[in-house]
Amino acid sequence: MSAIADAQLDALAAAPGPQLNTFRHYRHLTLELAISQFKLRYTQSVLGYFWSLLKPAMIFAITYVIFVDLFDIKDGTQFYGIQLLLGIVVWTFFAECTASSMQAIASNAALIRKAYFPRSILVIAASMSSLFTFLINLTIVFVIAMALHQIDIGLQILAVIPLLLELYILALGIALFLSALFVQFHDVGHLWDVLMQLLFYGSGVMFSLTYVLQRLHLAEAIGQTKYIAPHYVWIVQLMACNPIMQTIEDLRHALLTPQAPWTELVVTGHMVAVHQLHPLDAPWLLPVPFLAVAVVLTVGALTFRARARSFAENL
Amino acid sequence: MTVTDRELAIRVEQLSKRFRIPLDRSSTLKHRLTHWRSASRYRILEALLDVSFEVPAGQFIGIIGHNGSGKSTLLKILARIYRPDAGRVAIEGKVSPFLELGVGFNPELTARENIFLSGAILGLGRGELHRLFDEIIGFAELEQFVDHKLKNFSSGMEVRLAFSLAIQAHAEILMMDEVLAVGDASFQQKCFDIFNRYKREGRTVVLVTHELSAVNKYCDRALLLDHGRLTGDGLAADVTAQYRRAIGLAADGSALAPEVERWGSRDVVITGARMLDERGMEDTNPLTGGFTRVELGYQIQNDGVADFICVVSLVRGDGLVLSEARLPVSQYAQVGTSQRGVGGTIRYDIPQVPLLDGAYSVNVELQGRRDGATYDHLNHAIRFRVIDKGGRHGMIEPGGVWSVAASELPVMSWPDRLTPTT
Repeated sequence: MSAIADAQLDALAAAPGPQLNTFRHYRHLTLELAISQFKLRYTQSVLGYFWSLLKPAMIFAITYVIFVDLFDIKDGTQFYGIQLLLGIVVWTFFAECTASSMQAIASNAALIRKAYFPRSILVIAASMSSLFTFLINLTIVFVIAMALHQIDIGLQILAVIPLLLELYILALGIALFLSALFVQFHDVGHLWDVLMQLLFYGSGVMFSLTYVLQRLHLAEAIGQTKYIAPHYVWIVQLMACNPIMQTIEDLRHALLTPQAPWTELVVTGHMVAVHQLHPLDAPWLLPVPFLAVAVVLTVGALTFRARARSFAENL
Repeated sequence: MTVTDRELAIRVEQLSKRFRIPLDRSSTLKHRLTHWRSASRYRILEALLDVSFEVPAGQFIGIIGHNGSGKSTLLKILARIYRPDAGRVAIEGKVSPFLELGVGFNPELTARENIFLSGAILGLGRGELHRLFDEIIGFAELEQFVDHKLKNFSSGMEVRLAFSLAIQAHAEILMMDEVLAVGDASFQQKCFDIFNRYKREGRTVVLVTHELSAVNKYCDRALLLDHGRLTGDGLAADVTAQYRRAIGLAADGSALAPEVERWGSRDVVITGARMLDERGMEDTNPLTGGFTRVELGYQIQNDGVADFICVVSLVRGDGLVLSEARLPVSQYAQVGTSQRGVGGTIRYDIPQVPLLDGAYSVNVELQGRRDGATYDHLNHAIRFRVIDKGGRHGMIEPGGVWSVAASELPVMSWPDRLTPTT
């Protein structure tokens, strides 16, 4: 359809007044949509908002009982329990944010067919309502950690802000990509469910990267090299590229255990000096998580923009 | 930007839009992957073809046409919801982002929450909504239900809320898709009051509707679309008349074509029947209490006819005859004896239509005065719809007069309950 190339739609009045108003209007609309979706998420349930606290707590309890009590697995790092809880809270945010934002376009078909506004507002609003829950949960984890353990609060806590931003941008990029495709292909919903399982294990929710390296080191130390398959190192390197793994690790460091290394130290091998563990020693991996976030956001935003113009027709 | 540009609110140039309707419904990824080689099978629907027009600022314009003619598609392109495939659309001024009432309403939220959510879509700020809140609720008459969930509202309450919110939008250009279809008569009246206000304020309004009488009354101009083509553009009265003629002539027997039953000996035939307003324009939507004229054409076909009667009956939709008026034509016209080919026009004026809102029709009959033989009978020769601006219940407006006096009536007693007869 070459005719599409001729299609042109002029912008609204170019006067600065209305433009400014338009921006304010869309910001206000995003916030209103996010607030009402936050409210709607817990309607028709007796416990309401408490479910967002209860859910990670229950998953935490199950994971803790199975891994710590039954199998006696500890990843050697300090405060394993609270670290596990933090990992689960971060993961719950990522999982819920992508899953609910994916439906943001398809479930608002009536709105899209009847009213004009930038379509990305719906995805941003949906992801923001997950973010509200996450921020509350994160505060609670921190308060619990303060109550249970002696935690040094240093300047490293400031790192939480860029880390949360990175995590949110990643989730938003994925949400834009998935929600745009979901309009025509509901398959991505099922595909994403499976991918989430893979990501769960690849994101160090239940263990830290340090722990993985410790295992590698142990196997080497006792000469059981047969357990070190050639692809093992490759998998560990891949995990180090995962921005979710990186943000969970660094959030743990910033919030709970300042003495544990940043992923940066783990990846570049400086932790040899700290813990005498097998270093990954792959400094070229260092920028990969951040690049991955940038690529995901770019691809997500471009895919969304290309498809957004036909949402009203395809829904 | 030149001065003339600024005076235009909407300019549409050679706009085309086509939809590709997939013939096989399954559009999953698997289907895409397994059928990527074979060309996808589509039916191309030309929703709009080379449509061009300009709307000056402040004009009240109606878009009419049969279902599927492209009216709504055109409105959606103007509102930037659809993208055109070809052509240009330029819009000068702030457009209302709403096409219908109550867009963005969520049944699980309360009236208050819905006002803030839906108001945000309309472009109203939070502070502004706080300030207007009481006015919106008051206009909708929902003071007691502010914190009730919308799902517990009746549809009438919901429409009232949506409407009182929608009229707060500051848009210079308003686009409305079938807003008149949702409410009852009193709601329509509120719509019309608002339309009048918009006209006074000089806002540009684009109204898509099936209510031709509303187009006639409120629109300065109308566009007629037929299968995606712009076939009429002009004064609202002319374009609606053109549309009525078009659907009257529809040969495909669509639902809009009136079903006319006809019988008789055809010694005299009815050559035409129409309903006119006081200006002599064709109008099948008279107002309650307003003037309407039924006009019939006749022609004598047989020399033996000398004396005949014209019967005009008003009939309710279900066939109940409401009134019957008879005119001995030969007493008024110089029909004389056996003048084959002679014809004329018979008019039946109703100075104040006594009917309330509803669909009615006119039956006409020409019959011999002496033998009562039916020469020509047309059932539902004219179908018309009466519009009551007062929104009253019932079927007739008897023109009754009230009075209240101080004198007392003896107290009467009625049984409390009707006992069923067994």
